[in-house]
Amino acid sequence: MRNPISKSALSLAMSLSAVSLMLPSLAQAEPFQLEGDPKIAFIYAATARDGGWNEAIDNARQVVADELGYPIAVAESIPEDASALKNAIDLYVQRGFNIIVGTTYGYSDGIAEAAEKYPNVAFVNASGTRNSDNLESFYARTYEGWYLAGIAAGAVADSDKLGMMAGFPVSVVNWDINGFTRGVQVSKPDASVSVLYTNSWWDPVKEGQAAKSLLEQGASVVANNLSSAAPFTEAEKADKYSVGFQLDMSANAPKGHLTSVTFHWDKYLVPTIKAIAEGTWEPSEYGAFPGLAEGVVDITPLPDSVPEAVKKTVAEKRAAIIAGELTPFDGPIIAQDGSEKLPAGASLNDEQLWAMDYLIQGTVGGGQ
Amino acid sequence: MEQFITSWLGSTPAFAIPLALASMGLVLCERAGVLNMGAEGYMALGAMTAAVLTLTLGNPAIGIAAAVLAGAALALIFGFAVVIMRCEQILAGLATMAVGLGIAGVVGRPYVHKSFEGLQPLDIPLLDQIPLLGRLLFNQDILVYLTVLIGVGLWFLLERTRAGLKIRAVGEDPASADVAGVQVQLQQLMAITASGALCGLAGAYLSVASSSVWVDNMVAGRGWIALALVVFARWDPLKALAGAFLFGAIEALLPRLQAIGVPAPIYLMNMLPYLFTIAVLLIAAWSGTKKGVEPAALGKPYVRQDRH
Repeated sequence: MRNPISKSALSLAMSLSAVSLMLPSLAQAEPFQLEGDPKIAFIYAATARDGGWNEAIDNARQVVADELGYPIAVAESIPEDASALKNAIDLYVQRGFNIIVGTTYGYSDGIAEAAEKYPNVAFVNASGTRNSDNLESFYARTYEGWYLAGIAAGAVADSDKLGMMAGFPVSVVNWDINGFTRGVQVSKPDASVSVLYTNSWWDPVKEGQAAKSLLEQGASVVANNLSSAAPFTEAEKADKYSVGFQLDMSANAPKGHLTSVTFHWDKYLVPTIKAIAEGTWEPSEYGAFPGLAEGVVDITPLPDSVPEAVKKTVAEKRAAIIAGELTPFDGPIIAQDGSEKLPAGASLNDEQLWAMDYLIQGTVGGGQ
Repeated sequence: MEQFITSWLGSTPAFAIPLALASMGLVLCERAGVLNMGAEGYMALGAMTAAVLTLTLGNPAIGIAAAVLAGAALALIFGFAVVIMRCEQILAGLATMAVGLGIAGVVGRPYVHKSFEGLQPLDIPLLDQIPLLGRLLFNQDILVYLTVLIGVGLWFLLERTRAGLKIRAVGEDPASADVAGVQVQLQQLMAITASGALCGLAGAYLSVASSSVWVDNMVAGRGWIALALVVFARWDPLKALAGAFLFGAIEALLPRLQAIGVPAPIYLMNMLPYLFTIAVLLIAAWSGTKKGVEPAALGKPYVRQDRH
């Protein structure tokens, strides 16, 4: 009875079963209301100090704790299977926690079920796929950072060959590779980026060997989409530049570290959790997808060895992306095999981004 | 092309040595009749111990030695459980594996992702410049050579010495061995401890030589591959060594094929080491002798007649 408009709209929608898809957006007409004082739980699939993905989120957790001052609990190594996750969430909810932060794609379905079971608890999930009235998944436009890193890498590369290593050929990885390659092409239109997937998210032996293989094939910059220190050590030994991801990797390669594409999840989590606490949170039905403009993604400052002109170009492009005047994926986009993925004049939308199952022209290898 | 093959073969030990050491340790253990599922945990403990000590003391040798001791100590707990207490071997093995992974995760936590100066290749002038095989044979760290020596030594021990005969007797028919005066429990405990030490060394190689860094979960299933290699090698340490090098060679080949831009689907390429192993297994099964080579008493806790 509180909201007669949405109630009548609801009955209308229900009578038209064909448009039942509209339900979620209608139900979102009013912001989520939290019961009681905010109590937050972060749930990680592995150790929070993993030197990469989890650690970036955990750094944001500390900022949330410092800036908002709400009690925060942390659970680590909760497996990605739904039963283990549900147990953890049940325990937290029973203990009065009402904001649950999931941290992995593998939690998507388990969290969606929990969000249905506990409509008064707010859920956010990093790199998740599901959204509802009380659940928002979030990821970041990492390709924007990779594009800037690519511009710098292309400018300092002393050959036309660069290398990039990554875990698996999925869209969130492919757009990093493609974004980096597009950036490289800004500085060196004829350069190519050799792509290597290690088929693992954390195997320093494979990662070191991957970097070594790229260097042996003449890569003058090694861009690492994974998080172990081994590739930086290899690049440093070969006296080549390296690019890091997720956290500032400069400590692993004091001489050759060019930049790292870094996450700043606090820029998303602090305002989101604040909105939840204040009763103004309206989870997006498509999930949150912030980037450079929101400050969630950025690159670390370029070292002194990089010419001023390059720094200036990168700064200009960065400002243009933040101002919304530039996107790394303007058409035409031609895939590695020569097929046109996007015509000239168009710009890739989010749906097309999430479906990015190809590498663009300028990349070499990475057969899928 | 020549350079490609030289560096490919030269990088093979980075993948092969951990598998070789662990699977040879498991061969010894299984020849004594004990099925040891804990390798993954011993390796994790070894990798962590070696990395943490190398980071704090700056000396890989101390780290490696400690990793060997840590692996042996954890295996001794397993040995106590299955030999003295006669626990179910698979369960006890899995339990010690979890203990190893757990200790490695907790103790190693502050040292995750900190790179260090690891074990360096021996500096053998001129010979390492030989095309194709030069880097594989003459530009490796000392543990690579030691691994080959261990393989030969283990084979000699098992097949050519009285001590090896005792171990094998225990694995085939512990009751008869007991009657013949062999101390079954002692033999098994020694074999288990040695297998833990070798797995600890295998883990140390992963962190101190292959990658110069410690990361939680970095063993990444290699303990299980080592366990499979034991069967693949028909419980023969030299075949385990060869199998590990075969597997390692294909693993080292994969990134190199990708780096030169071979237009093959990567999922297909990543299947190669396993496909190849299955193929060799099948060939071995067809061409192998018909008599069973698996230790007859493998996995069965030994209970003396008079204790029934």
